[in-house]
Amino acid sequence: MSSPQQFSFVARNSLALSVLVFMGAALVLPWVGAGPISLARVLRHEAPDYDILVQLRISRTLLALVAGGALSLAGALFQAMLRDALATPYTLGISAGASLGAVVTIAAGWESFFGIPVTWIGALAGAFSVLALVIGGGFKRRQISAFSLLLTGIAINSVCAAFIIILSSFAGMSRSFSIARWLIGSIDATSYSSLGVLAVVVFVTSGFILSQARSWNLLAVGERWAASRGVRVGGLLGTGYVAGSVLVAGAIALTGPIGFVGLIVPHLVRSRISPDHRILMPCVFFFGGALLAFCDALGRIVMPPAEIPAGAVLAIIGGPYLVWVIRQRIPVEEI
Amino acid sequence: MSYLLEIEGVGFSYGGRSVLHSVTFSAGEGEFLALLGMNGAGKSTLLDIVSGFRRPETGSVAIAGRNQRLWTVREMSQQVSHLPQSIHSDLPFTAEQLVGMGRYPHTDRWFESDEDHRFIQQAMQRTRCWAERHRVFGTLSGGERQRVLLAACLAQNASTLLLDEPSTFLDIEHQLHCFTLLREEARLGKLCVAVTHDLNLALTYCTRLIVLADGVVAYDIPTSQAHSDADKGWLALFSSRLSMGSTPAGTPWIWYR
Repeated sequence: MSSPQQFSFVARNSLALSVLVFMGAALVLPWVGAGPISLARVLRHEAPDYDILVQLRISRTLLALVAGGALSLAGALFQAMLRDALATPYTLGISAGASLGAVVTIAAGWESFFGIPVTWIGALAGAFSVLALVIGGGFKRRQISAFSLLLTGIAINSVCAAFIIILSSFAGMSRSFSIARWLIGSIDATSYSSLGVLAVVVFVTSGFILSQARSWNLLAVGERWAASRGVRVGGLLGTGYVAGSVLVAGAIALTGPIGFVGLIVPHLVRSRISPDHRILMPCVFFFGGALLAFCDALGRIVMPPAEIPAGAVLAIIGGPYLVWVIRQRIPVEEI
Repeated sequence: MSYLLEIEGVGFSYGGRSVLHSVTFSAGEGEFLALLGMNGAGKSTLLDIVSGFRRPETGSVAIAGRNQRLWTVREMSQQVSHLPQSIHSDLPFTAEQLVGMGRYPHTDRWFESDEDHRFIQQAMQRTRCWAERHRVFGTLSGGERQRVLLAACLAQNASTLLLDEPSTFLDIEHQLHCFTLLREEARLGKLCVAVTHDLNLALTYCTRLIVLADGVVAYDIPTSQAHSDADKGWLALFSSRLSMGSTPAGTPWIWYR
């Protein structure tokens, strides 16, 4: 039988490819931008090339790689837990909560608190308030139903959207502009210290999520299915929601809500490579990071010196592509 | 005789609606039980409780002589496998990946070993779905899906098999094949408990009939005595329009009036 070998062959190749793409993006994309950067000047630490590359482009590319990976992985995780291919970090209302938290801090005009950007604190606080509301309400009845979570998420999304509109209409011209820009989702150069914190949080959380890949496979089939195959369903769902929210809140606090990457990347990997989470999840992380970094680089060079936010680039390219992929699928009913 | 499954006074209710009042019975290896009852009699709920998915409100369940609460979820799933009544049908997994999930409780390996693959292949060949192994579950027909799910339960290699309507969606040939297979499993020393509405399948293949009504075991009769059971009260429980006769071979047969 060739099937076991064939399986791990495909798995190993796609994993290696995704890692290569990720590393390639990290090496190449910082050199892409409005102005050319000379390698010779960088090596001599000469301004402005050296500063542009190190202070702006590299930190920005790394942020896109880490945040894109985190958001994509969170998307794959929520899709498995809710058994809904359309679930995203948005679905549970967690990113709406994070957005509202960040918008409150922008509207209030707070900027930084002991060197940490206040939008970050606001976003984390917003995300976890929503998580406490959603999960707390669900756990009271001891059984969390995916359907009621989805409905709760829709309700939370609308409430948060309403507050964001109210806040931005009272915030005055310039602040309401920066709110609008934050809400589109863009990658901006950040300090290496906040990037480092994010990277540690994302790698630890992602490592935990990946280590449970077999359980996500079982949960993606059904809770009864998982329970009779050795999974402590309640406990795993609880930790899964917390881990997913940590990824989402940490990433979008620095980038703004770029949720689409969490829908498109898992979908493509699932249909093109494998639905098995042991392969799907690492591939999704690496491809997701590379895709967001690529969109950010593209946004820098399309019409310089203006920059198109990465969230907008992603939506413009990704939306039609996703529709095309779905159209290619043969509907199940017709077979 | 030691029992694989001992159910003692189990009660369960959804909200205020009591489904199981006090269910008591035991079963050992080699038995193939048909769990019968009207819609809403609590058959699926009872299987959920035995598999550990739901906790009984009263009473206790012992698996292989040890109280269920003392088993970890992982240990339970090595002892008991459960075929759910319905499953989210638009799954992206291939048939083989789904059957492979039956091996998860047995190992911490990241990918399946050669031994796991032997179990998978054997289970899929026995339920006649090996040819479908590379197809995506969502594209299979109802009957093919049911065979794949049954293979997933067999691959789990548990001593107790709980099957919630295993013959749904199967054509007659595959219904017979499915019940023959479960009877074989029982003869090999396992305990099979199947929920079914098909009384003739139950009479032909099962060793014992358990009829749930009003939250208790209303009847518990060996199939061999189903015919001689004088008042046939258990039959009247399902419908007043059933009569029992026998086939030319002498096995009991239920016909409709």
